[in-house]
Amino acid sequence: MTEVLSTHGLVAGYGDFQALYDVDVEVHEGEAVALIGANGAGKSTFLRAVMGLLPVAPDMVHFDGAPVGGTPTDRMVQKGVAIVPEGRRLFTGMSVSDNLRVAIDQSSRFERKGCWTLSRLYQLFPILEEKARTPVESLSGGQQQMVSIGRALLCQPRLLLCDEISLGLAPRVVREIYAALPEVRAQGTSVVLVEQDVGLAKSASDRLYCMLEGRVTLSGRSEEITREQIGEAYFGGGHAVG
Amino acid sequence: MQWVDALVQGILLGGMYAQYALGMALMFGVMRIVNVSHGDLVILLSLIGISLASSFGLGPFAVMAALVPLALAFGWILQRAVLNRVVGEDPLPSLIATFGLSLALQNLMLQIWSANSRSLPGGGLESRSIEIGGIYIGLLPVIVLLVAAGLTLGLDLMLKRMRFGRALRAASADVEAAAMTGVNPKSVYAMATAIAVGILGFAAVFQSLRSTVAPADGGAQLIYAFEAVIIGGMGSVWGAFAGSMVLGVAQAVGFRIDPGFGVLSGHIVFLLVLALRPQGLFGRA
Amino acid sequence: MTSISTSADAVAAPPAIRVRRQTVSGVIALSLFVLVIVALSTMPWWAKTGTIRMVLELCCYIVAAQMWNMLAGYAGLVSVGQQAFIGVTGYAVFVLAQTFGINPFLAIPLALVVPALVAVPCYLLLHRLDGPYFAIGTWVVAEVFRLVASNLGWVNAGAGMSLAVMREYSGFERNVAMSVLCALMILVSIGGSYLFLSSRYGLALIAMRDNPVAASSQGINVGRLRFMIYVAAAVGCGFAGAVYFMAQLRINPPSAFDPMWSNVAIFIVMIGGIGTIEGVLIGALIYFVADRFFGEYGASYFVVLGVMTVLVALYARTGIWGMISKYWDAPWFPIRRHLLVERKDRA
Repeated sequence: MTEVLSTHGLVAGYGDFQALYDVDVEVHEGEAVALIGANGAGKSTFLRAVMGLLPVAPDMVHFDGAPVGGTPTDRMVQKGVAIVPEGRRLFTGMSVSDNLRVAIDQSSRFERKGCWTLSRLYQLFPILEEKARTPVESLSGGQQQMVSIGRALLCQPRLLLCDEISLGLAPRVVREIYAALPEVRAQGTSVVLVEQDVGLAKSASDRLYCMLEGRVTLSGRSEEITREQIGEAYFGGGHAVG
Repeated sequence: MQWVDALVQGILLGGMYAQYALGMALMFGVMRIVNVSHGDLVILLSLIGISLASSFGLGPFAVMAALVPLALAFGWILQRAVLNRVVGEDPLPSLIATFGLSLALQNLMLQIWSANSRSLPGGGLESRSIEIGGIYIGLLPVIVLLVAAGLTLGLDLMLKRMRFGRALRAASADVEAAAMTGVNPKSVYAMATAIAVGILGFAAVFQSLRSTVAPADGGAQLIYAFEAVIIGGMGSVWGAFAGSMVLGVAQAVGFRIDPGFGVLSGHIVFLLVLALRPQGLFGRA
Repeated sequence: MTSISTSADAVAAPPAIRVRRQTVSGVIALSLFVLVIVALSTMPWWAKTGTIRMVLELCCYIVAAQMWNMLAGYAGLVSVGQQAFIGVTGYAVFVLAQTFGINPFLAIPLALVVPALVAVPCYLLLHRLDGPYFAIGTWVVAEVFRLVASNLGWVNAGAGMSLAVMREYSGFERNVAMSVLCALMILVSIGGSYLFLSSRYGLALIAMRDNPVAASSQGINVGRLRFMIYVAAAVGCGFAGAVYFMAQLRINPPSAFDPMWSNVAIFIVMIGGIGTIEGVLIGALIYFVADRFFGEYGASYFVVLGVMTVLVALYARTGIWGMISKYWDAPWFPIRRHLLVERKDRA
């Protein structure tokens, strides 16, 4: 399988604070990779570094075999990486369809074409069609998350980064959102899932990486990794995750 | 009758102010930047227009056709060369940069055009008027108001309907999220400033037709634009338009009370709005 | 000296920690500062009237610039309208001395109440404006004052006022007064700023500038501190205005509320180095020298000042002092505290 994304000795941080230390992560084509770890382990920082939102050296991040570290965020989107950011980050004051159209406007100018259209997205999340003219701030949390995912999909990504998409949502809504993943992967899109919910992360991914204090402490095939191993990697001690 | 006249003249004056205020509202909405040299750019464009008219014998609308593209280019260059480097959370760098630019522009104009007041010959357009029920309404001020309304409508439609407008609204809601959706913030900003200054191309022609311009006048235009935006309430171009009308009426009414009180009464209305309704008359709380 | 020893007298003698603030450069600067204050107050005995006037002008610029520095560099309040307080206090002195016949030298301290009183409602209105809009708002306030003064009969409207009562004093007496006032202004503005910045409040302010969230979680009322600085800066600018226009003997609306004051203050602080007292002194000296040499070029001189301000904002936001202190850490007004850990191994 060919690598879509790989990081090599990735270091990044905020000002004087270093948040990532020599992180090596690989994502293959069509693969779903989960990134788990406690709060502050560096998962979101990793995604931000990949997206060009933090200064990193070019060689630290490769996409499609080419060095892309530190490329401006909008250029990363153009290359085929989209993100569902932490906290959804929708465009307030704009309707659902306008939020989605911003992505369509941009991706229609890319050389690379994709398969996602507004109608296809509405098939995936029918509620969004119903709410198309509603301002995004009056949607429920789950609906907002769907808009955020939809916006990322309409960027026609080859690699989709999802930052804690289950956070703060009811279990039923989380299931509904995760049910959309197979459809996304069926298009050959690779997925990186940052998750707090270890069970969810394990079941939705092919492989997983566990991070602790800015370092990768465990990696392997999701089905082969035991809860005890994760517990150890998660806290750096002999705890089990219940 | 006197007060009805003041009201009418004030609204017409507001048309002029709206042409300054639109660009300021746009730039602040998108980048949270105030361009201190906003007024100086109006004056610079006016003086260029006056020189063009006298060197090539151009009429006012030919001057406008030349000035608007020039103004768009000025705005684009201003953003690319200066403002893109200072846009950010901290308001200080952008304020200082445009403040320095204002100082430089004012004095540069003083050197090129001297301190004299000049105006653009309008070929009789500036003196034509119609009488309606005892009130004389100048043709030029009516044109100014119509153009201002047209610009506001155009800007509003662009923001709501066009691809660029959506990108712009996205960037003003959350610039990082816009970048994550493929929007290049720097080019959106450059376009926004180009439009903001481009509108000043219209304003420059009308300002120099309606009255006179001198290199030191820029500060006053900046203040009027600012007051109109705050009075109207931030967040919509129609707010800026309506705020301009209120400012124009306040000044015209004040002027009728005492000629020395015109500009001051505009300031007082601004301060009253700030005290009683800080979100602006038409802004959401 | 100023070092505070917190070494514990415990038997185990843990490493003693001393907090050191004063530095060698600081001691030298402090001595020079005292010398300058003495020199300023004794000017009539060693300087000509022309020199005293020049020094007075420089002192006024330093004060106006330092007040702007406190606002923009520490409190995060960018103002382009400090001339409002300069003019208002200038007028207050003229009204008190000329209209009410109060001794002009007594009128100066009395007049300082005016900017404090005026600043309160101004701040309450303006602080509702967001970041850059606050700056333009301060300018509007200054314009309001100018227009009011231009229309107000009892300050002689647009024609302005003269301070004829000063004729009752001899040239020497006036020189003594001006010199003492210069010394006092510098002492209060520079010395006062330094004391304030090294106090608990000052450190809170610096913390706030560097990280507002952290500072507000430290239990410091950021809003009230900003308000206090705004009022203090108004009084400081007022002091400069009172002294400046007393020396001028004339005041009229365009000169009293001249935006030039803001231009100069901003230029001085940005070139010298914002957020430092050293920067203000360096910037003021540069401006003063440049003004003497190039002032005659008028407009083109201001074009250069404007372009330099733009360049500093784009490429060198810490100004000259920022560049110096990167290579040579020798503050004249040390505010940072250094923790010195001394290992005293007892035998």
